[in-house]
Amino acid sequence: MTMLQHAILVLLLPLASAVVIALFLRRQGAVASWLSTATAGAIAAISIILLLHGERFENSIEWLRFGDFAVSLGIKFDDLAALMLFIVGCVGFLIHVFSLGYMHDDAARARFFGGLSIFMFSMIGIVLADNLFMIFIFWELVGFSSWLLINHYHHKQSAADAAKKAFIVNRVGDFGFLLGIIMCYWLNGTVNLSELARLGDTHALVFSLALPLLLFCGAVGKSAQMPLQVWLPDAMEGPTPVSALIHAATMVAAGIYMLCRISVLMVPDVLTLIMWVGTATALYAALCAVVQRDIKKVLAYSTLSQLGCMVAAFGLGSNLPGHDGGGTAVLAAGGAAAMFHLTTHAFFKALLFLGAGSVIMGCHHEQDIFKLGGLRTKMPVTFITFTIGVLAIIGLPGLAGFFSKDAILYLAMEKNTAVFAILAFTAVLTSFYMVRLWKITFLGEARSDAAKRAHESGLTMTLPLIMLAVLSVAGGYSGVFGQLAGSVAELVPEAHGSAHTIILMVSLAVMTVGAGSALLFYKTAATDTLEEQARVLFAGLTWLKESFDRLYDYYVAKVQQRFAMLLNFLEQIFLAGLIIRGFAGIVGMIGYGARALHTGSLHAYVFWFLFGAALLWAFAAGVF
Amino acid sequence: MPDNAQLLQLAIATPLGAALIIACGLPKRFSTKLAAAAFTLPALIALWLWSQFPAENAHQYAFLSTTYTGLADFGISLKLGLNGIALPMFLLAAIVGLAAGYYALRSGAERLKLYLLLLLVMHGGLLGVFASVDIFFFYFFHELALIPTFIMVGVWGGRDRHYAAMKLTIYLTAGALLSLLGLIALYVKSGANSFDLIELKDAIAAGGLRGSTQNWIGGLLLLGFGTLVSLWPLHTWAPLGYGAAPSSAAMLHAGVLKKFGLYGLIQIALPLLPLGMQHWAWKLALLAGLGNVLVVGFVTLAQRDLKQMIGYSSVMHMGYCFLGLACLSTIGTGGVVLLMVAHGLSVALLFLLATSIHHRTHSFDLSEMGGLAQKTPVLAAFFVAATMASIGLPGFANFWGELTVFVALWKFSPGLTAVAIAGVVISAIYGLRAAARVFFGPVSEQHQRVQAQHPPADLDWREKLPALILLAALLFFGFYPKAISQPVDQALGYSATPKALFTPLKTR
Repeated sequence: MTMLQHAILVLLLPLASAVVIALFLRRQGAVASWLSTATAGAIAAISIILLLHGERFENSIEWLRFGDFAVSLGIKFDDLAALMLFIVGCVGFLIHVFSLGYMHDDAARARFFGGLSIFMFSMIGIVLADNLFMIFIFWELVGFSSWLLINHYHHKQSAADAAKKAFIVNRVGDFGFLLGIIMCYWLNGTVNLSELARLGDTHALVFSLALPLLLFCGAVGKSAQMPLQVWLPDAMEGPTPVSALIHAATMVAAGIYMLCRISVLMVPDVLTLIMWVGTATALYAALCAVVQRDIKKVLAYSTLSQLGCMVAAFGLGSNLPGHDGGGTAVLAAGGAAAMFHLTTHAFFKALLFLGAGSVIMGCHHEQDIFKLGGLRTKMPVTFITFTIGVLAIIGLPGLAGFFSKDAILYLAMEKNTAVFAILAFTAVLTSFYMVRLWKITFLGEARSDAAKRAHESGLTMTLPLIMLAVLSVAGGYSGVFGQLAGSVAELVPEAHGSAHTIILMVSLAVMTVGAGSALLFYKTAATDTLEEQARVLFAGLTWLKESFDRLYDYYVAKVQQRFAMLLNFLEQIFLAGLIIRGFAGIVGMIGYGARALHTGSLHAYVFWFLFGAALLWAFAAGVF
Repeated sequence: MPDNAQLLQLAIATPLGAALIIACGLPKRFSTKLAAAAFTLPALIALWLWSQFPAENAHQYAFLSTTYTGLADFGISLKLGLNGIALPMFLLAAIVGLAAGYYALRSGAERLKLYLLLLLVMHGGLLGVFASVDIFFFYFFHELALIPTFIMVGVWGGRDRHYAAMKLTIYLTAGALLSLLGLIALYVKSGANSFDLIELKDAIAAGGLRGSTQNWIGGLLLLGFGTLVSLWPLHTWAPLGYGAAPSSAAMLHAGVLKKFGLYGLIQIALPLLPLGMQHWAWKLALLAGLGNVLVVGFVTLAQRDLKQMIGYSSVMHMGYCFLGLACLSTIGTGGVVLLMVAHGLSVALLFLLATSIHHRTHSFDLSEMGGLAQKTPVLAAFFVAATMASIGLPGFANFWGELTVFVALWKFSPGLTAVAIAGVVISAIYGLRAAARVFFGPVSEQHQRVQAQHPPADLDWREKLPALILLAALLFFGFYPKAISQPVDQALGYSATPKALFTPLKTR
């Protein structure tokens, strides 16, 4: 089998799994879960084969044509796609295995695993796509699978609302994305990624300010950047493995992946904007995370913040000194740093979410961290692996997060001091809220019945935790990441000499300050220490968190819905009433005729029709 | 073994003949069996003809046959055939007719025999519309399908059926008469002395029509056909009529018969009156973009009645069709044909499912519903699929139609493209909101009371089969749009390339 056939197989396998589950296994939850997991295992295996085989290729077929306009479906398998496919395949497989245990007693298990398979299909489609139309197709499909899986507990109003919100907010972003793709088609005559790159190499590419801006809208929606970040915290209504897979490791990172795919179209002003959007999101989400009580919400805001860092890194790429501006090499530094962090983040954030899932499962679905506590001894495997995840995200030297975060900080330090300061402060906050979460959840005494009766999860759940913990330790070393990312890894900016020392010092300092203060400040108690000690600060942060939702709720209920009601009213009054009376007057003859017809029985209708037809025939045949 | 041209005749004659036999007093138990056969046969023939369609000559009419009618003096003869544009529409009519027919057979309607008879006449008319090469019969078949619609709304309709039937009759008769005037004017001005579309084309290509003549005939056709397709602000009959119509009639009218106007514009107005269409393009695009898409989009958001909401959403989607037409390009027109087929399937499916929901909730009021999915997961899955199709999710045929129209529209006006794509956001809001209101969240109080009296059962086979037919077609064209785009592209390449359109014709 050629590598191309491997790639096609890896795309179609999960679709086949989803179809089989939807058609035949609706009531066979156990069979469905094993089929879906086996499929994910096969995907992981093939993705490793594809990664290690080293062959990189492209191929496409035409799918639709009208005149000169054609849409193709194709595969562009380069080092970037190989890396992303590996992440999706391996993290996806581990999360499938975890779900076997986590969803074991769920009545709608088949729907859940069918949804996971649909998601794997859609996500792999984005990864392998060779053109923007195809990315958009699978972009919409991941949005659908996200909707389906957030909606899993659909009898809960909150879950139904969250799913709807996620889909609609994403569509707002896609509004710009689709406009951008269409603009790209007419501006450059192609949406094929390789052809765009070739045009860029020969300086034949048409640049425009609007084009990358519109395309970036897509990333703002999917990667939940400000101001469209509101859907991601709500999306935690879905089952925890879904949060780990879709809303932490893979789908939300698709925005960053897409930006790297279209980096050739970027212009400096838009990159600056991207940098600031990412930076603002990173800071805002980190501030929100500090006041969360729900274990999954802390992780959700943390995800937002980390995604902000990646987007900022991409935007920073433009400004790295030492390269002459404009070329792709400059951008690649930012994109590579973003992809590096995306990779390590996928490992440790999936680990943290699954750890949270294990906690939730072990504590009988208690998610409030102030009602947990004392899980260190009751859930040892979860505790150790979760600790590794925390250490990785706060950037302890030697763990994966340390290397990728330093690459981004170095990039920021080299160019934009303000961004550097904000990102460093965000790193302090990250260490602070993660250690807060860790301490309150695992240390001290159990603070509720649920936590007292906590038990360690079974092997299907702890094994993925251990595997992800290994990846969270090893994933940052150049030996490992270099193997995974190939040529992408070579572009990751690395500090040397004095810059190296400064970055190392800063990195250690922010981690120590953040982690240390959280460790000292928070008591393992049933109440939030910050809320007691600094009431104003706490209220301010809570307000900050809620302000966006309030604003959007106000818009939906008070502006959009009222506008709709007003138009509906006008429509009923004017169109259906006045104008139509006039229209009916103009065609009064017909109106009267119709009314006359209507008063009769249905025979009258038939009679008039037959009468007319007979008249015509008689006329033609020369009766008159 | 009859040849393909005879099969095409047979497809149209079958439902009409069956209706005649039923009218002659066939007992009820035979009538339902005959009707079932008469709904099935055209679908099988349509699939066969589709497989037999010559791919390389799609611009020409295949399966041609001419029947003498006694109207030769007027240049009228029953000339049947299919070209690349007519083929997908004929297939659409056959598929939706099959689903609507099967649904009607077990609908338990009162006076079932009469109901089936009217539906069969309507189906025969619809098949005839898209197979007619002669524009007189094109119009005749439309009327043949329209009259049963009025009767079915008036007799079997729901709330406000008398008012709805009257309004429907006034609007659609007015629209039809205006378009008839336009067609007659075309016939007179072309000098072809024939209603045969092929001869009309030849005559006009040879002689050419003056720009001003094209303008007024084009305007007449746009006004007439536009009313039939619910062009804003002449659309108010649609939500009201569909809200009141019995499900099978709503499925056939919204799904297929409504496309008569668009089909007429594409097959007749675009190739014969290019200058006239160009003259009206901007006005049409503004009405469709701002009226059908934006205004009606917001109005749809305000609807509380499920069927009215589907009716309004269908008016909104017709806006995309008009926008695609206004581009006057192969891409735009091709997108319209794709969208017509896709919308026809998805709106029929939505009307079918809305009735199935009504059977279980005894209400169309969205504010009274909630949590139905807990009892009827299969119905919920079908409804979600239909909603996703209608809001243009990839994987369903609608996506390709919308995408193609948007791409074409950018060349016409980037601003209107933004408006059109904003409409996609609006449709996501009302679509998902309706699905969530009906199926998700806790079971509503109102519904608990209904459930206590009538425990809701999930979708049974008599509902599932027609729904599956429609859903399978949506998915098939969603995964393989080439099945439609290839013949359409070939036919358009001949009749309406941008080049042909924008080169002014010789004037007399």
